[in-house]
Amino acid sequence: MSILDVIGPIMIGPSSSHTAGADKIGFLARLVYGMEFKKVHITLYNSFAKTGKGHGTDKAIIGGLLGMKMDDERIPFAFSIAKEQGYDFSFSYQQNPDKYPNEAKVEFFDEKNELTFSISGSSIGGGNAKIIEINGNKVDFSGKHDMLIVQYRDVPGLIGYIGDILGNHKINIAYVQISRDAVIGEAMAILKLDEFCPLKVTEEICTNPGILKAISFPRLGG
Amino acid sequence: MTIPNRIRIHGFTDSVKLMNLYEIKNLSDFFLIYESKNQVISEEKAVSQMKESLHAMIESIEKGKQHPNRTPSGLIQGGADKIKHLLNKGGSLLSPSFTEVIYNTLAVAELNACMGRIVAAPTAGSAGVLPGAFLTIAFQHNLSEEKMIESLFVAGGIGEIIALNASLAGALHGCQAENGSASAMTAAAIVYLFSHDPEIIESAASFALKNLLGLVCDPIAGLVEVPCVKRNVVASINAIACAEMALAGIKTVVPFDEVVKAMEEIGSVMPWSLRETSQGGLAISESAKKY
Repeated sequence: MSILDVIGPIMIGPSSSHTAGADKIGFLARLVYGMEFKKVHITLYNSFAKTGKGHGTDKAIIGGLLGMKMDDERIPFAFSIAKEQGYDFSFSYQQNPDKYPNEAKVEFFDEKNELTFSISGSSIGGGNAKIIEINGNKVDFSGKHDMLIVQYRDVPGLIGYIGDILGNHKINIAYVQISRDAVIGEAMAILKLDEFCPLKVTEEICTNPGILKAISFPRLGG
Repeated sequence: MTIPNRIRIHGFTDSVKLMNLYEIKNLSDFFLIYESKNQVISEEKAVSQMKESLHAMIESIEKGKQHPNRTPSGLIQGGADKIKHLLNKGGSLLSPSFTEVIYNTLAVAELNACMGRIVAAPTAGSAGVLPGAFLTIAFQHNLSEEKMIESLFVAGGIGEIIALNASLAGALHGCQAENGSASAMTAAAIVYLFSHDPEIIESAASFALKNLLGLVCDPIAGLVEVPCVKRNVVASINAIACAEMALAGIKTVVPFDEVVKAMEEIGSVMPWSLRETSQGGLAISESAKKY
């Protein structure tokens, strides 16, 4: 804890876990996906499913997906704003003991209605949330660092290649997590950075044919 | 004695000892330095963030007064508005300034229930207490913004001590951890407006938390509405009474750290049904079933 966490966050009520944390999951999911989208499906688990409606969990996640931060006063109107902007969204509700008490999964669909990306997050109290799964890969980050997420073909040398480019631009890596899918031969690296990785650097990383996608976003916070 | 890069505290006694050791002149400065060192941010940045929270709290009172404050569940139906009418027609049981504490606390707690913008201090469910009691008194005494920010660091320090030794979560320790903590933080902040004496601050915080020990978290339909909103009012009134007793010179028998320990112990034996699960207490009362 910190004193500024005790007197804070500034947020839309009524619940730091069910409203502010839910917004943060949506907000992080939008950043991680990093592309335009028009259709999402959201699954709310356990306590989110049970008391989420009364806490505006659903509105907060949609608000976050539209880029509203947890103190954005448009959150209560997120549904109508999303509809006006042409978003297609739907919800399902599940009780599942294998999931966290306050977990949500966001699935992104393309124009052909095919599932392209899925992100799960868990609200952990006090308005804090973390991303716990991306496309079935277990991950763990909360937006406290500047982030770089790279999807790449699982061949030797690519992590070294990414590290070299970041080093050349004086961007220090605080933490790396790698998860891979042996079946499709793809891997994902989650890099927590001390400095933000600008677009020109992610573009440079993407010049290697082994790199499938690189997304960078700055740390969240006050 | 130079101040190290990281300050570790365990409790209130510890904080006062370190404050004296490092020759920091008051508790507010101590908590500011603590925050700045531990979070590796400048003191200016910490103060400016606190100022932002203060402004959001002030706005939450104003918005809560304008908002109709009705929730979709029907559990909250504009209580602040009813108090306003009472104030306007002059029906206060005590003084209008006492009624204003109730009014401001309800305005913020109800605004929170209605998805308004509030400061979770320490939690969203207890967001009405600091604005309702502490700010109302600060404004009635025409105190400066600087003084209010300093006092909020004292409130935050008290909350930090509770977070370190117990928790601020109803799901872990019941409502005593939310409204009880809010009340202790608020009592300390109110005292700081008038006295920097750590003993008086400690007594006020101890009284306030002691008075709400054992308070369970049993919200109807799992919503932050009933009984949460009116418990904010109890926590506000309690904070003021405790600050006044302490300022009058009444001293706590049990030091604050031991009260926190007691809260932790009580919370840990509290049945799960009474820790924000809505499986017991008011949440399973006959009248709660229709919500």
